[in-house]
Amino acid sequence: MGKIIALHSYKGGTGKTLLSVNLAATYVKKGKNVCLLDLDFRAPSLHAVFKTNNSERWLNDYLNGVCEIDKVLVDVTQEHGRSGKFFVGLANPATEAIREMSAKDRKWEMRALGRLLSLKTSLLNDMHHDYVILDTSPGLQYSSINAIVSADVVLVVTSLDASDIKGTQRMTRELYDLFDKKTGILMNKVLPEILSSKKEKQKFYKHFNSVHKLPILEAIPCFCDVLRAGGTYIFSEEKTEHPFTKTLDKLATKIEEF
Amino acid sequence: MAVYKKLEVKSTQLLEKIKDSLERLNEKIDVMIEIQKHGQRANPEIPDALDVMTLLSLPDHLRKTAVTLCKLGEATADNVAEQTKRARAVESGYLNQLVIMGYLKKERRGRKAYFYVEKEA
Ligand SMILES: Nc1ncnc2c1ncn2[C@@H]1O[C@H](COP(=O)(O)OP(=O)(O)OP(=O)(O)O)[C@@H](O)[C@H]1O
Ligand SMILES: [Mg+2]
Repeated sequence: MGKIIALHSYKGGTGKTLLSVNLAATYVKKGKNVCLLDLDFRAPSLHAVFKTNNSERWLNDYLNGVCEIDKVLVDVTQEHGRSGKFFVGLANPATEAIREMSAKDRKWEMRALGRLLSLKTSLLNDMHHDYVILDTSPGLQYSSINAIVSADVVLVVTSLDASDIKGTQRMTRELYDLFDKKTGILMNKVLPEILSSKKEKQKFYKHFNSVHKLPILEAIPCFCDVLRAGGTYIFSEEKTEHPFTKTLDKLATKIEEF
Repeated sequence: MAVYKKLEVKSTQLLEKIKDSLERLNEKIDVMIEIQKHGQRANPEIPDALDVMTLLSLPDHLRKTAVTLCKLGEATADNVAEQTKRARAVESGYLNQLVIMGYLKKERRGRKAYFYVEKEA
């Protein structure tokens, strides 16, 4: 049985999308069948990463109940597959669609939760995906909490920013814990000098384990090369020997055992 | 011999009926206990949606039951108890309380009570 992994954060811009995409690509490289879904309906991103408009339908349509999930998924195995199959589900980036999604009522959100929960059967059991990765909006958004409830594992992407740390602590108490979710922290954009020696690294992990009271799965340095790439290609796919790619390989294995 | 067989069938039927009634009675008592414990009153005016924000606002013991039911879609107290690893009677009480609070619907089919979140029209 596969796993559904949601990437979430308190503040925006912590690296959820970058890490979702690269984690998905890492699993594909390892021969897993992966399905990556853009649940950030406020600021859709994956259509830009995959430069595809091939889907007949958007994830918006699936949640609206007008089509099934197979109509939404785009097969990007040709362009991005290594040994595993790679599918993406996109959020509709049109302004009108964004506005519509932000005006949904509680009844609709309740049904959307039901549709997201049923992905476990359709994507993992019937379509045999090994990993379903959910990229979400930051903070306490309906769509993000729906994603968290539907996921088997939640990865919280945090920075070293004080307000982000505080917010993440609060979300742990008031969100992740309440749903009994297996939750791990990804410290992202860490200054490389903080991780320079083994000893410093250990100190860093120990400190943040106690700050967040959750396992720190990985500390990912801030890489100028990643910034330089500007999201024009999937970094770990192209730069196979880069330390960023190596870090993601390690992270992927850790999540498998998590 | 035939008379004996008939009697046996009759007594089994009777026992099943008694068991059914007892189960219903049990459920009703569960509901009463829950209402007493938490002081929740039925509010028939607003049928409520069991969305995630509502899930967050529920007390822990009810949230676990509610999330499990959302996952199962439709379930008996037995089905829920299997997932939560809590006693059937406990889940039955919680499920019935969620019905009273307006978050779940309950339907009897044959001898079993099925609980579900509002069905799509
Ligand atoms: N480890 C890193 N090193 C260098 N740049 C990074 C790193 N992680 C993320 N970035 C950059 O930070 C920016 C924001 O990343 P990203 O879009 O993935 O964040 P996000 O959490 O998805 O944002 P949002 O909350 O708006 O959806 C991007 O330009 C990305 O390339
Ligand atoms: Mg993003």
